[in-house]
Amino acid sequence: MEERKISVDPMALAFAKVMTVFTIIGIAVMVAPSIPYFMGYNQYISLQMASKYWNESTVNFWKHVKGITVHGYDWIFTNLEYTDCQSMIGVLLLMITPLLSMIAAIPKADQKAFKLLLLLAAIEFAVSMIVKGIL
Amino acid sequence: MDWWFWPVFLFVFTLLIGIISPVSGVGGGVLYVPLATVLTPFNVDFIRGAGLIMAVVSALSSVPYLLRKGLANIRLFAVIAPIMVITSVLGGIVGLWVSNALPNGKYYVKLLLGIIILLVFLIMITSKRVEFPEVRDEDVDPWSRKLGIVGEWYEPSLDRIVQYKIKNLPVGMIMFGVIGFIAGMFGLGAGWANVPLLNLVMGAPIKVATATSMLIITANAPAIGIYLAKGAVLPVVVVPSILGITIGARIGAKIAEIIRPAFVRWLVIGVLFLAGVLNIIKGLEGLGYIPHII
Repeated sequence: MEERKISVDPMALAFAKVMTVFTIIGIAVMVAPSIPYFMGYNQYISLQMASKYWNESTVNFWKHVKGITVHGYDWIFTNLEYTDCQSMIGVLLLMITPLLSMIAAIPKADQKAFKLLLLLAAIEFAVSMIVKGIL
Repeated sequence: MDWWFWPVFLFVFTLLIGIISPVSGVGGGVLYVPLATVLTPFNVDFIRGAGLIMAVVSALSSVPYLLRKGLANIRLFAVIAPIMVITSVLGGIVGLWVSNALPNGKYYVKLLLGIIILLVFLIMITSKRVEFPEVRDEDVDPWSRKLGIVGEWYEPSLDRIVQYKIKNLPVGMIMFGVIGFIAGMFGLGAGWANVPLLNLVMGAPIKVATATSMLIITANAPAIGIYLAKGAVLPVVVVPSILGITIGARIGAKIAEIIRPAFVRWLVIGVLFLAGVLNIIKGLEGLGYIPHII
């Protein structure tokens, strides 16, 4: 009975709701295309090839496997017809889930300070992802 | 060995880690990264990328429940997140730079990882947990007071609502910055450092410290971008690891009710010590400081 009397911060409830939804979607989007990938369908990086070089640093791995140097998220978005790159969309979704949760919590904050702090964290979060995608 | 052996191995390996984690109270990432670095052929870059994703996904899965129960404190998170987002990204950049740009970089990373793991080992065997730390009104720092960082939850063992306050917020903010850097650099979840800091330095009750630590780990998510943008995330490593730890954690949560946690905790601490020593030996071997022994 007493449990019902707990006052939960409205910011927390909004944050939790968005996080639940996008975590489920992110895991599903990551796992579903990986099934055909492991069965050998439509691979951007063939598993036989990958296994020869996965002990190398990322730079050498990509040089040997695809003959490219990876900078940013282009390798995912320009190869979305391949199952392994589709699986990476799920990882991207999981990565932005805390950002979406923070944005959802902002309107529910009862103090200006928390609106600003969450907005600052969300901007840092977004900028760091965009910068990494460009570099 | 055929390629398919390694995803199967990773699945079984992370399933076991997932089972052990809830029983021992040791986070999955902190076991996964040092052990997978030693036991699998994958480069440390791919292992760290998967380790960070595992830590974040585990946190994303449990945080909504903890928030609704009043155990995870979103006000504390709002103060710490702007610091940890920046430092975890910086840590990820430095970690990949060391392993890619420096000659023998991956051996330096293994050596540093071993040292960090031994540090975690020391923290675990020396830190005492305080279930309900006493924070008097005069202990509350002005920042916490002004921001109203307080909370409450229903504690079944006491059959009452427990209210708590926070102290030492400015010191905590600096220390969280350092923890974020280390977490991003080595692909570790940071529960091993977050929990003692929140509990012993900032006066959060142990349940609140553990739950808020999970919430804070979600602020490390942008560091995943560093690994994605460098091509250090491969489905062959990430997918079996995430599935293994997710299924294992559910089994572990049930086992936790019937097994003696103290025994498993000490077993895990022993494995952690071994993993730290093995990484240091492998790092020193690779750098040529000691002859090849493992």
